[in-house]
Amino acid sequence: MREVYILGLGMHKFGRFPDKTIEQLGMEAINDSLTDAGIKFKDIQAAFCGTVFGGWGLGHRISSKFGLQGIPIVNVEAACASGGSAFNLSHLSVASGQCDVALAFGVEKMPRGFIAGQPEDWYTYTGLSVNPVYFAMKIKRHMEKYGGTEDHLIEVSVKNHRNGVLNPYAMYQKETPYEVVKESHMVNDPLRLLMLCAPNEGAAAVILCSKEVIKKFNVTKPVQVAASVLKTAVYGTPEVPHFSISANVDNPPPAKLASREAYEIAGVGPEDLDLIELQDTDSGSEIIAYEELGLCNRGEGYSLLDKKMTEPTGKMPVNVSGGLLCKGEPLGASALGQIVELGWQLRGETGHRQVENAKVGLAHVYGAHGNCSVTILKS
Amino acid sequence: MVNAEGLVPVKEGLFTWTVNSDSPKLIGSRCSECQEVVFPANNFCQNCANNTMKEILLSRRGKLVSFTIQRFQPPPPYKFSGEFKPYGVGMIELPEGVIVTSILTESNPDKLKIGMDMELLLDKFYENEEGKQVVSYKFRPVQKDVG
Repeated sequence: MREVYILGLGMHKFGRFPDKTIEQLGMEAINDSLTDAGIKFKDIQAAFCGTVFGGWGLGHRISSKFGLQGIPIVNVEAACASGGSAFNLSHLSVASGQCDVALAFGVEKMPRGFIAGQPEDWYTYTGLSVNPVYFAMKIKRHMEKYGGTEDHLIEVSVKNHRNGVLNPYAMYQKETPYEVVKESHMVNDPLRLLMLCAPNEGAAAVILCSKEVIKKFNVTKPVQVAASVLKTAVYGTPEVPHFSISANVDNPPPAKLASREAYEIAGVGPEDLDLIELQDTDSGSEIIAYEELGLCNRGEGYSLLDKKMTEPTGKMPVNVSGGLLCKGEPLGASALGQIVELGWQLRGETGHRQVENAKVGLAHVYGAHGNCSVTILKS
Repeated sequence: MVNAEGLVPVKEGLFTWTVNSDSPKLIGSRCSECQEVVFPANNFCQNCANNTMKEILLSRRGKLVSFTIQRFQPPPPYKFSGEFKPYGVGMIELPEGVIVTSILTESNPDKLKIGMDMELLLDKFYENEEGKQVVSYKFRPVQKDVG
Protein backbone atom coordinates (compact mmCIF):
# COMPACT_ATOMS: atom_id res chain seq x y z
CA MET A 1 0.00 0.00 0.00
CA ARG A 2 1.25 3.48 -0.89
CA GLU A 3 1.84 6.33 1.54
CA VAL A 4 -1.08 8.74 1.81
CA TYR A 5 -0.87 12.44 2.70
CA ILE A 6 -3.30 15.18 3.60
CA LEU A 7 -3.55 17.75 0.85
CA GLY A 8 -6.47 19.86 2.08
CA LEU A 9 -8.59 20.43 5.17
CA GLY A 10 -11.88 22.29 5.51
CA MET A 11 -14.62 22.55 8.08
CA HIS A 12 -17.93 24.32 8.61
CA LYS A 13 -18.49 25.25 12.26
CA PHE A 14 -20.72 22.76 14.12
CA GLY A 15 -23.94 24.13 15.57
CA ARG A 16 -27.45 24.98 14.34
CA PHE A 17 -27.91 26.76 11.01
CA PRO A 18 -31.59 27.02 10.18
CA ASP A 19 -30.84 29.34 7.24
CA LYS A 20 -28.51 26.90 5.48
CA THR A 21 -29.38 23.74 3.61
CA ILE A 22 -27.41 20.57 4.18
CA GLU A 23 -25.92 21.00 0.69
CA GLN A 24 -24.67 24.49 1.59
CA LEU A 25 -22.93 23.19 4.72
CA GLY A 26 -21.17 20.53 2.66
CA MET A 27 -20.21 22.93 -0.11
CA GLU A 28 -18.61 25.37 2.31
CA ALA A 29 -16.48 22.65 3.92
CA ILE A 30 -15.40 21.28 0.55
CA ASN A 31 -14.66 24.75 -0.79
CA ASP A 32 -12.43 25.46 2.21
CA SER A 33 -10.58 22.19 1.70
CA LEU A 34 -10.01 22.92 -2.01
CA THR A 35 -8.70 26.41 -1.21
CA ASP A 36 -6.51 24.96 1.51
CA ALA A 37 -5.17 22.37 -0.93
CA GLY A 38 -4.72 24.85 -3.74
CA ILE A 39 -6.53 22.60 -6.21
CA LYS A 40 -9.79 22.68 -8.15
CA PHE A 41 -12.66 20.21 -7.84
CA LYS A 42 -11.71 18.72 -11.22
CA ASP A 43 -8.49 17.45 -9.61
CA ILE A 44 -10.53 15.20 -7.27
CA GLN A 45 -10.58 11.64 -8.62
CA ALA A 46 -12.90 9.94 -6.10
CA ALA A 47 -15.27 11.22 -3.42
CA PHE A 48 -16.78 9.60 -0.32
CA CYS A 49 -19.60 11.28 1.60
CA GLY A 50 -20.49 10.33 5.17
CA THR A 51 -24.07 11.07 6.23
CA VAL A 52 -26.84 9.35 8.18
CA PHE A 53 -29.88 11.59 7.82
CA GLY A 54 -28.83 13.51 4.71
CA GLY A 55 -30.98 11.49 2.37
CA TRP A 56 -30.07 9.32 -0.56
CA GLY A 57 -27.61 10.69 -3.08
CA LEU A 58 -26.32 13.47 -0.78
CA GLY A 59 -22.69 13.04 -1.90
CA HIS A 60 -23.79 13.26 -5.51
CA ARG A 61 -26.04 16.26 -4.94
CA ILE A 62 -23.24 18.19 -3.28
CA SER A 63 -20.45 17.11 -5.65
CA SER A 64 -22.53 18.00 -8.69
CA LYS A 65 -22.63 21.63 -7.50
CA PHE A 66 -18.87 21.74 -8.12
CA GLY A 67 -18.77 19.83 -11.36
CA LEU A 68 -19.81 16.66 -13.12
CA GLN A 69 -16.56 14.81 -13.72
CA GLY A 70 -17.58 11.17 -13.93
CA ILE A 71 -15.62 10.22 -10.81
CA PRO A 72 -16.71 7.46 -8.45
CA ILE A 73 -18.82 8.95 -5.65
CA VAL A 74 -19.96 6.77 -2.75
CA ASN A 75 -22.33 7.68 0.10
CA VAL A 76 -21.28 6.03 3.34
CA GLU A 77 -23.32 5.35 6.47
CA ALA A 78 -22.02 3.89 9.71
CA ALA A 79 -24.12 5.76 12.26
CA CYS A 80 -21.93 8.14 14.31
CA ALA A 81 -18.82 6.75 12.63
CA SER A 82 -19.97 7.53 9.09
CA GLY A 83 -17.26 10.15 8.58
CA GLY A 84 -14.63 7.70 9.77
CA SER A 85 -15.78 5.09 7.28
CA ALA A 86 -15.80 7.67 4.49
CA PHE A 87 -12.26 8.63 5.46
CA ASN A 88 -11.17 5.01 5.59
CA LEU A 89 -12.46 4.38 2.08
CA SER A 90 -10.83 7.51 0.68
CA HIS A 91 -7.55 6.48 2.30
CA LEU A 92 -7.84 3.02 0.76
CA SER A 93 -8.63 4.58 -2.60
CA VAL A 94 -5.28 6.41 -2.65
CA ALA A 95 -3.24 3.79 -0.79
CA SER A 96 -4.29 1.09 -3.23
CA GLY A 97 -3.41 3.17 -6.24
CA GLN A 98 -7.01 3.37 -7.44
CA CYS A 99 -6.51 7.14 -7.62
CA ASP A 100 -4.05 9.85 -6.59
CA VAL A 101 -6.40 12.45 -5.06
CA ALA A 102 -9.51 11.54 -3.06
CA LEU A 103 -12.01 13.62 -1.11
CA ALA A 104 -13.72 12.48 2.09
CA PHE A 105 -16.45 14.74 3.39
CA GLY A 106 -19.17 14.42 6.00
CA VAL A 107 -22.35 16.45 6.33
CA GLU A 108 -25.28 16.36 8.72
CA LYS A 109 -28.34 18.27 9.85
CA MET A 110 -29.65 16.32 12.85
CA PRO A 111 -33.18 16.54 14.13
CA ARG A 112 -33.26 17.86 17.70
CA GLY A 113 -33.37 15.62 20.77
CA PHE A 114 -32.66 11.92 21.20
CA ILE A 115 -31.68 10.14 18.02
CA ALA A 116 -34.63 8.11 16.74
CA GLY A 117 -34.04 4.37 16.83
CA GLN A 118 -34.71 1.89 14.04
CA PRO A 119 -38.35 2.47 13.25
CA GLU A 120 -41.00 -0.22 13.32
CA ASP A 121 -39.38 -2.66 15.70
CA TRP A 122 -40.29 -4.05 19.08
CA TYR A 123 -37.36 -2.60 20.96
CA THR A 124 -38.06 0.93 19.75
CA TYR A 125 -41.75 0.63 20.64
CA THR A 126 -40.87 -0.51 24.17
CA GLY A 127 -38.15 2.09 24.81
CA LEU A 128 -34.93 0.12 24.41
CA SER A 129 -33.62 2.17 21.44
CA VAL A 130 -32.34 5.27 23.19
CA ASN A 131 -28.54 5.44 22.72
CA PRO A 132 -27.57 7.13 26.01
CA VAL A 133 -29.21 4.23 27.89
CA TYR A 134 -26.34 2.04 26.68
CA PHE A 135 -23.64 4.62 27.46
CA ALA A 136 -25.16 5.03 30.92
CA MET A 137 -25.31 1.32 31.73
CA LYS A 138 -21.76 0.78 30.50
CA ILE A 139 -20.27 3.54 32.65
CA LYS A 140 -22.41 2.62 35.68
CA ARG A 141 -21.02 -0.91 35.57
CA HIS A 142 -17.51 0.43 35.03
CA MET A 143 -17.79 2.90 37.94
CA GLU A 144 -19.01 0.15 40.26
CA LYS A 145 -16.15 -2.14 39.26
CA TYR A 146 -13.29 0.37 39.21
CA GLY A 147 -14.31 3.02 41.76
CA GLY A 148 -15.46 5.81 39.47
CA THR A 149 -17.49 8.66 40.97
CA GLU A 150 -19.82 11.36 39.71
CA ASP A 151 -16.94 13.79 40.22
CA HIS A 152 -15.02 11.99 37.47
CA LEU A 153 -17.92 12.38 35.06
CA ILE A 154 -18.19 16.05 36.01
CA GLU A 155 -14.45 16.56 35.51
CA VAL A 156 -14.55 15.33 31.89
CA SER A 157 -17.30 17.82 31.13
CA VAL A 158 -15.47 20.67 32.89
CA LYS A 159 -12.21 19.85 31.05
CA ASN A 160 -13.74 19.60 27.61
CA HIS A 161 -15.87 22.72 28.01
CA ARG A 162 -12.83 24.65 29.17
CA ASN A 163 -11.00 23.46 26.05
CA GLY A 164 -13.93 24.32 23.81
CA VAL A 165 -13.78 28.01 24.72
CA LEU A 166 -10.70 28.24 22.49
CA ASN A 167 -12.28 26.52 19.48
CA PRO A 168 -14.27 28.76 17.12
CA TYR A 169 -15.57 25.66 15.32
CA ALA A 170 -17.30 24.33 18.44
CA MET A 171 -20.99 24.96 19.06
CA TYR A 172 -20.54 25.54 22.79
CA GLN A 173 -17.72 27.88 23.69
CA LYS A 174 -18.52 28.40 27.35
CA GLU A 175 -16.97 26.97 30.47
CA THR A 176 -19.17 24.77 32.62
CA PRO A 177 -17.95 24.91 36.22
CA TYR A 178 -18.32 21.91 38.53
CA GLU A 179 -21.56 23.11 40.19
CA VAL A 180 -23.20 23.86 36.86
CA VAL A 181 -22.52 20.34 35.57
CA LYS A 182 -23.54 18.76 38.88
CA GLU A 183 -26.86 20.57 38.89
CA SER A 184 -27.75 19.89 35.25
CA HIS A 185 -30.74 17.61 34.70
CA MET A 186 -30.25 13.88 35.07
CA VAL A 187 -30.99 12.34 31.67
CA ASN A 188 -29.91 8.68 31.94
CA ASP A 189 -28.49 8.03 35.41
CA PRO A 190 -25.58 8.61 36.03
CA LEU A 191 -25.32 10.86 32.96
CA ARG A 192 -26.53 14.44 33.38
CA LEU A 193 -27.36 16.84 30.56
CA LEU A 194 -23.96 18.57 30.56
CA MET A 195 -22.22 15.19 30.47
CA LEU A 196 -23.89 14.38 27.14
CA CYS A 197 -23.24 15.77 23.67
CA ALA A 198 -25.97 17.29 21.52
CA PRO A 199 -26.68 16.05 17.99
CA ASN A 200 -26.47 19.09 15.71
CA GLU A 201 -25.35 20.29 12.24
CA GLY A 202 -22.03 20.65 10.50
CA ALA A 203 -19.66 19.57 7.75
CA ALA A 204 -15.98 18.72 7.32
CA ALA A 205 -13.81 17.76 4.37
CA VAL A 206 -10.39 16.17 3.94
CA ILE A 207 -8.49 15.81 0.67
CA LEU A 208 -5.99 12.94 0.56
CA CYS A 209 -3.27 12.39 -2.00
CA SER A 210 -0.31 10.21 -2.94
CA LYS A 211 3.34 10.99 -2.17
CA GLU A 212 4.00 12.14 -5.75
CA VAL A 213 1.19 14.67 -5.57
CA ILE A 214 2.19 16.10 -2.18
CA LYS A 215 5.79 16.47 -3.44
CA LYS A 216 4.57 18.59 -6.36
CA PHE A 217 2.97 21.03 -3.91
CA ASN A 218 6.15 21.68 -1.93
CA VAL A 219 4.30 21.48 1.36
CA THR A 220 6.61 22.46 4.23
CA LYS A 221 4.99 20.30 6.89
CA PRO A 222 3.21 17.45 5.11
CA VAL A 223 0.87 15.47 7.32
CA GLN A 224 0.82 11.77 6.59
CA VAL A 225 -1.98 9.34 7.30
CA ALA A 226 0.10 6.83 9.24
CA ALA A 227 -2.87 4.50 9.78
CA SER A 228 -6.58 4.33 9.01
CA VAL A 229 -8.35 1.33 10.53
CA LEU A 230 -12.02 0.41 10.52
CA LYS A 231 -13.43 -2.35 12.72
CA THR A 232 -16.78 -3.54 13.98
CA ALA A 233 -17.69 -5.38 17.16
CA VAL A 234 -16.59 -8.91 17.92
CA TYR A 235 -19.15 -11.11 19.69
CA GLY A 236 -20.14 -10.43 23.24
CA THR A 237 -19.14 -6.80 23.77
CA PRO A 238 -21.71 -4.24 24.93
CA GLU A 239 -22.40 -2.16 21.82
CA VAL A 240 -25.14 0.37 21.15
CA PRO A 241 -27.75 -1.13 21.31
CA HIS A 242 -27.49 -4.63 22.79
CA PHE A 243 -30.35 -6.93 23.80
CA SER A 244 -27.99 -9.47 25.25
CA ILE A 245 -24.28 -9.79 25.80
CA SER A 246 -22.19 -12.72 26.91
CA ALA A 247 -21.41 -13.25 30.58
CA ASN A 248 -18.52 -15.58 29.70
CA VAL A 249 -16.67 -14.24 26.70
CA ASP A 250 -14.31 -11.30 27.25
CA ASN A 251 -13.55 -10.04 23.77
CA PRO A 252 -11.77 -6.75 23.03
CA PRO A 253 -14.14 -3.91 22.16
CA PRO A 254 -13.93 -2.37 18.66
CA ALA A 255 -11.89 0.61 19.88
CA LYS A 256 -9.24 -1.75 21.19
CA LEU A 257 -9.25 -3.83 18.00
CA ALA A 258 -8.95 -0.76 15.80
CA SER A 259 -6.36 1.12 17.87
CA ARG A 260 -4.13 -1.93 18.37
CA GLU A 261 -3.94 -2.43 14.62
CA ALA A 262 -3.49 1.29 13.98
CA TYR A 263 -0.55 1.50 16.40
CA GLU A 264 1.08 -1.46 14.66
CA ILE A 265 0.63 -0.06 11.17
CA ALA A 266 1.80 3.42 12.21
CA GLY A 267 4.75 2.08 14.18
CA VAL A 268 3.85 4.05 17.30
CA GLY A 269 2.45 3.32 20.75
CA PRO A 270 -0.04 5.27 22.87
CA GLU A 271 2.90 6.89 24.68
CA ASP A 272 4.02 8.47 21.38
CA LEU A 273 0.77 10.33 20.86
CA ASP A 274 0.92 14.11 21.27
CA LEU A 275 -2.84 14.51 21.23
CA ILE A 276 -6.02 12.48 20.94
CA GLU A 277 -9.45 13.40 19.63
CA LEU A 278 -11.81 10.70 20.87
CA GLN A 279 -15.53 9.95 20.98
CA ASP A 280 -16.85 11.77 24.04
CA THR A 281 -20.56 11.28 23.30
CA ASP A 282 -20.74 11.47 27.09
CA SER A 283 -18.31 11.77 30.00
CA GLY A 284 -18.39 8.04 30.66
CA SER A 285 -17.45 7.12 27.10
CA GLU A 286 -14.36 9.35 27.28
CA ILE A 287 -13.06 7.65 30.42
CA ILE A 288 -13.68 4.18 29.00
CA ALA A 289 -12.02 5.21 25.72
CA TYR A 290 -8.82 6.06 27.62
CA GLU A 291 -8.62 2.36 28.48
CA GLU A 292 -9.87 0.92 25.20
CA LEU A 293 -7.36 3.01 23.22
CA GLY A 294 -4.52 1.87 25.46
CA LEU A 295 -3.78 5.27 26.99
CA CYS A 296 -3.84 3.41 30.31
CA ASN A 297 -4.62 -0.06 31.58
CA ARG A 298 -8.10 -1.38 32.14
CA GLY A 299 -9.71 0.24 35.17
CA GLU A 300 -7.19 3.10 35.31
CA GLY A 301 -9.19 5.67 33.36
CA TYR A 302 -10.23 7.51 36.55
CA SER A 303 -6.64 7.64 37.69
CA LEU A 304 -5.49 9.09 34.35
CA LEU A 305 -8.07 11.82 34.72
CA ASP A 306 -7.17 12.46 38.37
CA LYS A 307 -3.51 12.88 37.43
CA LYS A 308 -4.51 15.56 34.86
CA MET A 309 -2.72 13.57 32.14
CA THR A 310 -5.48 14.31 29.63
CA GLU A 311 -5.49 18.08 30.18
CA PRO A 312 -4.07 20.20 27.31
CA THR A 313 -0.87 20.57 29.33
CA GLY A 314 -0.77 16.89 30.27
CA LYS A 315 1.17 14.03 28.68
CA MET A 316 -1.85 12.87 26.65
CA PRO A 317 -4.07 15.84 25.78
CA VAL A 318 -7.57 14.51 25.03
CA ASN A 319 -10.15 16.57 23.14
CA VAL A 320 -8.34 19.90 23.12
CA SER A 321 -10.97 20.84 20.51
CA GLY A 322 -13.61 20.59 23.24
CA GLY A 323 -14.68 17.19 21.94
CA LEU A 324 -18.21 16.23 21.05
CA LEU A 325 -19.36 17.72 24.35
CA CYS A 326 -18.59 21.18 22.93
CA LYS A 327 -18.69 20.65 19.19
CA GLY A 328 -21.90 18.65 19.27
CA GLU A 329 -22.37 15.64 17.06
CA PRO A 330 -23.38 16.02 13.42
CA LEU A 331 -23.07 12.29 12.73
CA GLY A 332 -21.64 12.22 9.21
CA ALA A 333 -19.24 15.08 9.85
CA SER A 334 -18.05 14.25 13.35
CA ALA A 335 -15.13 11.93 12.59
CA LEU A 336 -13.88 14.19 9.81
CA GLY A 337 -14.07 17.14 12.19
CA GLN A 338 -11.68 15.24 14.47
CA ILE A 339 -9.28 14.56 11.59
CA VAL A 340 -9.39 18.18 10.45
CA GLU A 341 -8.55 19.29 14.01
CA LEU A 342 -5.64 16.85 14.18
CA GLY A 343 -4.39 17.97 10.77
CA TRP A 344 -4.46 21.63 11.79
CA GLN A 345 -2.73 20.81 15.08
CA LEU A 346 0.05 18.90 13.32
CA ARG A 347 0.55 21.84 10.97
CA GLY A 348 0.75 24.21 13.95
CA GLU A 349 -2.30 26.19 12.83
CA THR A 350 -4.57 26.02 15.88
CA GLY A 351 -3.61 29.24 17.65
CA HIS A 352 -4.56 29.39 21.33
CA ARG A 353 -5.52 25.74 21.57
CA GLN A 354 -2.32 24.57 19.88
CA VAL A 355 -0.62 21.57 21.48
CA GLU A 356 3.06 22.45 21.37
CA ASN A 357 5.19 20.48 18.95
CA ALA A 358 2.33 18.18 17.99
CA LYS A 359 3.72 15.53 15.67
CA VAL A 360 1.53 12.46 16.18
CA GLY A 361 -2.24 12.50 16.68
CA LEU A 362 -4.96 9.87 17.00
CA ALA A 363 -8.64 10.25 16.11
CA HIS A 364 -11.19 7.76 17.43
CA VAL A 365 -14.85 7.65 16.48
CA TYR A 366 -17.45 5.09 17.50
CA GLY A 367 -20.86 4.51 15.93
CA ALA A 368 -23.89 2.45 16.89
CA HIS A 369 -23.71 -1.27 16.03
CA GLY A 370 -20.05 -1.41 16.92
CA ASN A 371 -18.51 0.71 14.19
CA CYS A 372 -15.11 2.06 15.13
CA SER A 373 -12.62 4.02 13.05
CA VAL A 374 -9.15 4.92 14.36
CA THR A 375 -6.86 7.22 12.42
CA ILE A 376 -3.26 8.14 13.23
CA LEU A 377 -1.69 11.20 11.61
CA LYS A 378 2.00 12.06 11.67
CA SER A 379 3.89 15.18 10.62
CA MET B 1 -52.03 -14.17 18.26
CA VAL B 2 -54.70 -12.40 20.28
CA ASN B 3 -56.43 -13.99 23.26
CA ALA B 4 -59.86 -13.24 24.66
CA GLU B 5 -58.45 -10.62 27.01
CA GLY B 6 -57.35 -8.39 24.12
CA LEU B 7 -53.62 -8.80 24.75
CA VAL B 8 -51.00 -9.20 22.04
CA PRO B 9 -47.23 -9.76 22.36
CA VAL B 10 -45.04 -6.97 21.03
CA LYS B 11 -43.37 -9.61 18.87
CA GLU B 12 -43.86 -13.35 18.44
CA GLY B 13 -41.02 -15.53 19.57
CA LEU B 14 -39.48 -13.28 22.23
CA PHE B 15 -41.08 -15.02 25.20
CA THR B 16 -43.43 -17.88 25.98
CA TRP B 17 -46.91 -16.64 25.84
CA THR B 18 -49.80 -18.42 27.50
CA VAL B 19 -52.94 -16.92 28.89
CA ASN B 20 -52.79 -16.49 32.67
CA SER B 21 -49.32 -18.01 32.75
CA ASP B 22 -47.56 -17.27 35.99
CA SER B 23 -44.27 -18.46 34.60
CA PRO B 24 -43.41 -16.76 31.32
CA LYS B 25 -39.91 -17.28 29.98
CA LEU B 26 -37.67 -15.48 27.52
CA ILE B 27 -36.79 -17.51 24.42
CA GLY B 28 -33.07 -17.47 23.71
CA SER B 29 -30.81 -19.80 21.77
CA ARG B 30 -27.70 -21.78 22.67
CA CYS B 31 -24.96 -22.82 20.27
CA SER B 32 -24.30 -26.57 20.32
CA GLU B 33 -20.68 -25.91 19.25
CA CYS B 34 -19.47 -23.20 21.65
CA GLN B 35 -22.37 -23.13 24.18
CA GLU B 36 -22.84 -19.37 23.91
CA VAL B 37 -26.38 -18.15 24.59
CA VAL B 38 -28.07 -15.10 23.05
CA PHE B 39 -31.38 -13.32 23.33
CA PRO B 40 -33.49 -12.96 21.28
CA ALA B 41 -33.02 -16.38 19.65
CA ASN B 42 -30.89 -16.36 16.51
CA ASN B 43 -30.28 -18.97 13.82
CA PHE B 44 -26.55 -18.36 13.56
CA CYS B 45 -24.14 -18.28 16.46
CA GLN B 46 -22.56 -14.85 16.42
CA ASN B 47 -19.58 -16.16 18.36
CA CYS B 48 -18.48 -19.00 16.10
CA ALA B 49 -20.60 -18.11 13.04
CA ASN B 50 -22.02 -21.64 12.78
CA ASN B 51 -25.59 -22.58 11.95
CA THR B 52 -25.78 -24.50 15.23
CA MET B 53 -28.16 -22.59 17.49
CA LYS B 54 -31.06 -24.24 19.27
CA GLU B 55 -33.87 -22.43 21.06
CA ILE B 56 -33.87 -22.61 24.84
CA LEU B 57 -36.07 -21.10 27.52
CA LEU B 58 -34.08 -18.81 29.80
CA SER B 59 -34.25 -18.84 33.60
CA ARG B 60 -36.61 -16.31 35.11
CA ARG B 61 -34.26 -15.05 37.78
CA GLY B 62 -30.89 -13.38 37.62
CA LYS B 63 -28.65 -10.68 39.06
CA LEU B 64 -28.73 -7.00 38.14
CA VAL B 65 -25.42 -6.16 36.44
CA SER B 66 -26.13 -2.52 35.60
CA PHE B 67 -29.03 -0.12 35.22
CA THR B 68 -30.08 3.39 34.29
CA ILE B 69 -33.29 5.41 34.29
CA GLN B 70 -34.76 6.81 31.08
CA ARG B 71 -35.93 10.18 32.37
CA PHE B 72 -37.02 11.82 29.13
CA GLN B 73 -39.58 10.68 26.62
CA PRO B 74 -37.89 8.88 23.69
CA PRO B 75 -38.73 10.02 20.16
CA PRO B 76 -41.33 8.19 18.06
CA PRO B 77 -41.91 5.45 17.24
CA TYR B 78 -41.62 4.84 21.01
CA LYS B 79 -45.14 4.00 22.14
CA PHE B 80 -46.87 4.56 25.44
CA SER B 81 -50.38 5.07 26.76
CA GLY B 82 -51.47 8.01 28.88
CA GLU B 83 -48.67 10.27 30.13
CA PHE B 84 -44.98 9.44 29.72
CA LYS B 85 -43.41 8.08 32.90
CA PRO B 86 -39.66 7.64 33.37
CA TYR B 87 -38.63 3.99 33.38
CA GLY B 88 -35.72 1.87 34.49
CA VAL B 89 -33.59 -0.13 32.05
CA GLY B 90 -31.23 -2.82 33.31
CA MET B 91 -28.87 -5.62 32.37
CA ILE B 92 -29.64 -8.91 34.14
CA GLU B 93 -27.24 -11.84 34.19
CA LEU B 94 -29.02 -15.16 33.91
CA PRO B 95 -27.60 -18.57 34.92
CA GLU B 96 -27.34 -19.56 31.24
CA GLY B 97 -24.37 -17.20 30.89
CA VAL B 98 -26.26 -14.47 29.05
CA ILE B 99 -26.85 -10.90 30.22
CA VAL B 100 -30.18 -9.58 28.88
CA THR B 101 -31.24 -5.95 28.56
CA SER B 102 -34.72 -5.21 29.84
CA ILE B 103 -37.14 -2.53 30.93
CA LEU B 104 -37.49 -2.60 34.73
CA THR B 105 -40.57 -2.13 36.85
CA GLU B 106 -38.60 0.19 39.15
CA SER B 107 -37.85 3.77 38.09
CA ASN B 108 -36.31 5.02 41.35
CA PRO B 109 -32.53 4.56 41.15
CA ASP B 110 -32.27 4.52 44.95
CA LYS B 111 -34.27 1.28 44.97
CA LEU B 112 -31.95 -0.46 42.51
CA LYS B 113 -28.56 -1.91 43.33
CA ILE B 114 -26.04 -3.77 41.21
CA GLY B 115 -26.07 -7.39 42.38
CA MET B 116 -29.70 -7.51 43.47
CA ASP B 117 -31.90 -10.45 42.49
CA MET B 118 -34.35 -9.77 39.68
CA GLU B 119 -37.16 -11.79 38.17
CA LEU B 120 -38.96 -11.78 34.83
CA LEU B 121 -42.55 -10.80 34.28
CA LEU B 122 -44.76 -9.81 31.39
CA ASP B 123 -46.53 -6.48 31.48
CA LYS B 124 -48.74 -4.29 29.35
CA PHE B 125 -46.78 -1.55 27.59
CA TYR B 126 -49.22 0.42 25.43
CA GLU B 127 -52.47 0.18 23.53
CA ASN B 128 -52.12 -0.43 19.80
CA GLU B 129 -54.23 0.96 16.96
CA GLU B 130 -56.62 -1.98 17.14
CA GLY B 131 -57.28 -1.26 20.80
CA LYS B 132 -55.29 -4.27 22.01
CA GLN B 133 -52.89 -4.06 24.93
CA VAL B 134 -49.36 -4.78 23.73
CA VAL B 135 -47.39 -6.97 26.12
CA SER B 136 -43.64 -7.31 26.54
CA TYR B 137 -41.14 -8.42 29.18
CA LYS B 138 -39.78 -6.60 32.21
CA PHE B 139 -37.70 -7.49 35.25
CA ARG B 140 -38.59 -6.57 38.82
CA PRO B 141 -36.60 -6.74 42.04
CA VAL B 142 -37.30 -10.03 43.83
CA GLN B 143 -39.51 -9.32 46.85
CA LYS B 144 -37.83 -10.55 50.02
CA ASP B 145 -40.22 -12.44 52.26
CA VAL B 146 -40.92 -10.66 55.53
CA GLY B 147 -40.52 -12.64 58.76
